[in-house]
Amino acid sequence: MSAPGRAPVTAPTDAPVVTRSTGSGHDLTHPPRTGLLLTLPALAFVAVFVLVPLLFAVYMSFTNWPLIGSYEFIGFDNYAAIASDPVFWKSVGYTVLYTAIVTVPILVLGYVLAVVVRSNRRGSTLFRTVFFLPYVIGLTTLSFLMVLEAQPGSGAVNIVLKALGITDGTSAWLADGPLATGLICVMIVWAVSGLTMVLLMGGMQGISRDVYESAEIDGATWWQRERSITIPMLRPTIAMSLVISVIGSLLAFTQFYVLTRGGPSTDTQTVVMYVYQRGFVQLQLGAASALSIVLVVVIGLVTAVQFRLLREKD
Amino acid sequence: MTTSTTPTTTALGPATARRRTPHVGTAPGRPRAESRTKITLYVLGGVLATLVFLVPLVWSVLRSFQPNDAIVATTPSWSALTQFTTENFRALFTGDADIVRAVGNSLVVAVGTAVLTAVLATLAGYGFGRFGFRGRNTLFGLIVVTMMVPFQAIITPLYLQMNAMGLTDSRLGLVLFYSTVNLPFGVFVMRNAFESIPTEIEDAAHVDGAGTMRTLVSVLRPLLLPGMATSALYAFLAAWTEFLGALTFLTDDRLYTLPLSLVNLQAGAYGAVNFGYLVAGAVVAMVPCVVLYVALQRFYVAGLASGAVKG
Amino acid sequence: MQLDRRKVLGLGGLGTITALMPSCASALPEPDVSAAGFGQDARGTVRLWCRAATVAGVRQTVEAFNASQDRLTVEVTPVLDAQYVTKLATAIRGGNVPDIVDIDDINSMLFIYRDSFTDLTPVISQLDFADRLNPGQAELAVRGGRNYGVPYIADNSALYYNAELFERAGLDPVQSTADFDGLLDAARAIGGLGEGTYGWSLDANAAGILGFVVQPHLWAADAPNIVGEVGSQRGSIADNDAVRRTFEFYRTLWKEGLMPPGNFAADGARWGADFREGTIGLFPANFSLAVLNASPEMQAKTGVVLLPGPDGGRATFAGGDNLCIPRGAGNASGAWEFAKFALDLPQQTQLPAGGYIPVRSDAATPEYREQFPLATVSLDDIDAAYAPVTLAYNLLFNQPDSPWIASFRRAVFDDDLEGALADGQEDFDRILEQAQL
Repeated sequence: MSAPGRAPVTAPTDAPVVTRSTGSGHDLTHPPRTGLLLTLPALAFVAVFVLVPLLFAVYMSFTNWPLIGSYEFIGFDNYAAIASDPVFWKSVGYTVLYTAIVTVPILVLGYVLAVVVRSNRRGSTLFRTVFFLPYVIGLTTLSFLMVLEAQPGSGAVNIVLKALGITDGTSAWLADGPLATGLICVMIVWAVSGLTMVLLMGGMQGISRDVYESAEIDGATWWQRERSITIPMLRPTIAMSLVISVIGSLLAFTQFYVLTRGGPSTDTQTVVMYVYQRGFVQLQLGAASALSIVLVVVIGLVTAVQFRLLREKD
Repeated sequence: MTTSTTPTTTALGPATARRRTPHVGTAPGRPRAESRTKITLYVLGGVLATLVFLVPLVWSVLRSFQPNDAIVATTPSWSALTQFTTENFRALFTGDADIVRAVGNSLVVAVGTAVLTAVLATLAGYGFGRFGFRGRNTLFGLIVVTMMVPFQAIITPLYLQMNAMGLTDSRLGLVLFYSTVNLPFGVFVMRNAFESIPTEIEDAAHVDGAGTMRTLVSVLRPLLLPGMATSALYAFLAAWTEFLGALTFLTDDRLYTLPLSLVNLQAGAYGAVNFGYLVAGAVVAMVPCVVLYVALQRFYVAGLASGAVKG
Repeated sequence: MQLDRRKVLGLGGLGTITALMPSCASALPEPDVSAAGFGQDARGTVRLWCRAATVAGVRQTVEAFNASQDRLTVEVTPVLDAQYVTKLATAIRGGNVPDIVDIDDINSMLFIYRDSFTDLTPVISQLDFADRLNPGQAELAVRGGRNYGVPYIADNSALYYNAELFERAGLDPVQSTADFDGLLDAARAIGGLGEGTYGWSLDANAAGILGFVVQPHLWAADAPNIVGEVGSQRGSIADNDAVRRTFEFYRTLWKEGLMPPGNFAADGARWGADFREGTIGLFPANFSLAVLNASPEMQAKTGVVLLPGPDGGRATFAGGDNLCIPRGAGNASGAWEFAKFALDLPQQTQLPAGGYIPVRSDAATPEYREQFPLATVSLDDIDAAYAPVTLAYNLLFNQPDSPWIASFRRAVFDDDLEGALADGQEDFDRILEQAQL
């Protein structure tokens, strides 16, 4: 039913569903009840470790819970306070800016890397290994490594820039908002593009050669082929990759915590870092919970919008 | 006759993949001249990119073998860069930082998480991928939504809850929490893995009288191992590098995981940070990830290529 | 079938929340310190939390204590400084508290204000050296006239100077360090010596350090930057002449190149390295940084005075740790027995070997003076030790986004004194108000 070489995974998800998985004709081997039972352990974990605390957080958001001492209900006061909280809005602006800066480069670089790697020439597996390596090491460890290399004078970043004559090598990357942001953005694009590469690569390899052949016969150049064949067929993959990337950027925390702690002042404080500050440092759990709930809702909306936008163009 | 499984989810390996997915975007028999430009670009681009990706990591490893004074010297000299010492690692392993114990804790937690995630994801993936029951999509959506909830939102109520359950200050608590967080991806992957298995196999097993669990364990398992490996590996990676949860849920310093030791090394009252130790610690954290990846990279790549795409 | 399960899960969730409620509201029971035999002949384990920064010294004391008797065993759990308050707060909330905590003294009031610590007044008054304890530290644990903690180790800020550089500049250190004018003259003179010497050094990108060494200038002039009773405080920045003059003083130091350029971004990771190399004339810091880690040659040419105000006076930051017993402690009696041991002269007089200062003025015995000549100035003038009692110390001074460091850097590096003072006042007031809710 599918042409050889075309894997089902690249089918857009709104295509006719493969009937095998609904089990409608297989009641005997796949009784619905068993199915439910199979999913219960996972559901139980999610319920206990995520949903219940989330409900608890909703409850806390209506109080002025100070972690130490007693608390009382204050209704929607926390939510109302968010609107007029200058530090919150600054962190929102910063997070949006950060997301805007890194999203496209991650996608583009990932795409380019995927193009390099998909050709299955000699060495492409090696390349693929290398390009994905930083992601596999993890942002936490990479951030710790970056702490050292961002030091004025002795850090690798400064050594290189000094050798190239661009700066005098004494920039304190982590002590300045724009500089730290730039550095972190570069690091993230470097580390996460490998993930995009792998996501796109899978999709690319599923596209049949025949389609390209006919395009070539019609005289299309490489770029024209990419634009009219590869990219449209990769739409769902690109969509997924973008969603993952954007959610990750909006929820960025680790690299900022390790490298700048949100400083100097609040110049590199992302939204999640601010929530952390309110809850863990200022010990105002009620306010922090309200912020968290708002964040969850916003992320959900953004994701939904993204899906819609990226599907519609069909 | 069967659904053509993506090359990467079979056990056949990259060589087979190569045979089945020839040069994308080119037709055979193109004039040589064009291929050469392409090849040059490919090699050039590839090598450059490799340098960009590899050099920082190799550099860091080299740094970990330099004495702290050389690392922090404000006017670095080439002679300083060629000093070599194992002092950083020695101090980490035998000194106060007690890295060995931290690595041990991290291993226990990460492996535990990997195994538990794989098991739970397999069961749930089977249920969602093969069985039809009412509310299936809603429940699946529920699991996926978890991915969008940031840790920080739930970590304090979760602490209080886990405290009441006696799971704070315990590695088991961490394993349970980490597994939950890694479930969405794992279930994704396993659901796809199940969906690509031909039903004939299960039908045959059923005819032979095998119940669901038996089918799962004996018959389907070999086909599922790649997917399970993928779920396990990503869960391992996430658990290995996670620190905020560990920081919150663990108080006893004998239970500290490796990222906590790194945070410890990085902080300290008013400084006196030893960057040599910090880099060495980070390198120690890097090693298992790199080793696992290089040895089993097929499973890392496969999981994403097949799992995440299905929207 | 479907709905039943969902309902069960939902109910389970509600049930968990309800179960957690009782543990949320009331305070834990207070140990009875007036009971006969409290703090004597206790048995069992004592769980002690200490700051990660102090763990080396604490472990030494603990080992000595455990070795000195066989009824009690003290177990030490070091906690990361940055996490300390949160961890202790969650432990109290969860009902699972340690028996005694070695807590950064400026954080004590946070917990005392919310009834989390035990009233130790009766047993403290039984100590024969109670009147010789560091008043600044002790004050941080006093509420309503009652003592909820006892000082344990002191970490005082002082002005360390390089006597050799002063000699070469032809100046007398004690006279030069009497007020800002003297300090500026000395800094200029030493800076003028050439060969990479600087008059002053300060890690200006470290919030904690700025709170530690810059504030005493204000207290020496009796003009603190927080005024009012705990619970209803406000900031005193824009209307505070001492703050203005202190910022101006630092501004002058920076503009005239009397501080090393690296001070701009220095975040404390290499605090004191330049002073220990002998290139700095004046260095406000603590004993551990300036002396303990220095070479014997450097130590021989180091001198120390307390920090002066703009026109005179002397003050020092009453930093360090207090020992407090949380309410709900399992072995409060054993905990107090350990506390008494920790305050005994043999333990206290050895503190400088670990970089800390004793908390009792009578620790300055002749042997002590001989062994640690540079660790006596804050004991001789122990009444000059002060630290602001407030619920928001951490937020106002120790965080990377604190208003104190923001104002300081704005005034000193961005040359915007007025803006710094105005915004500083606003931020101080806002944070104090939020913390006092």
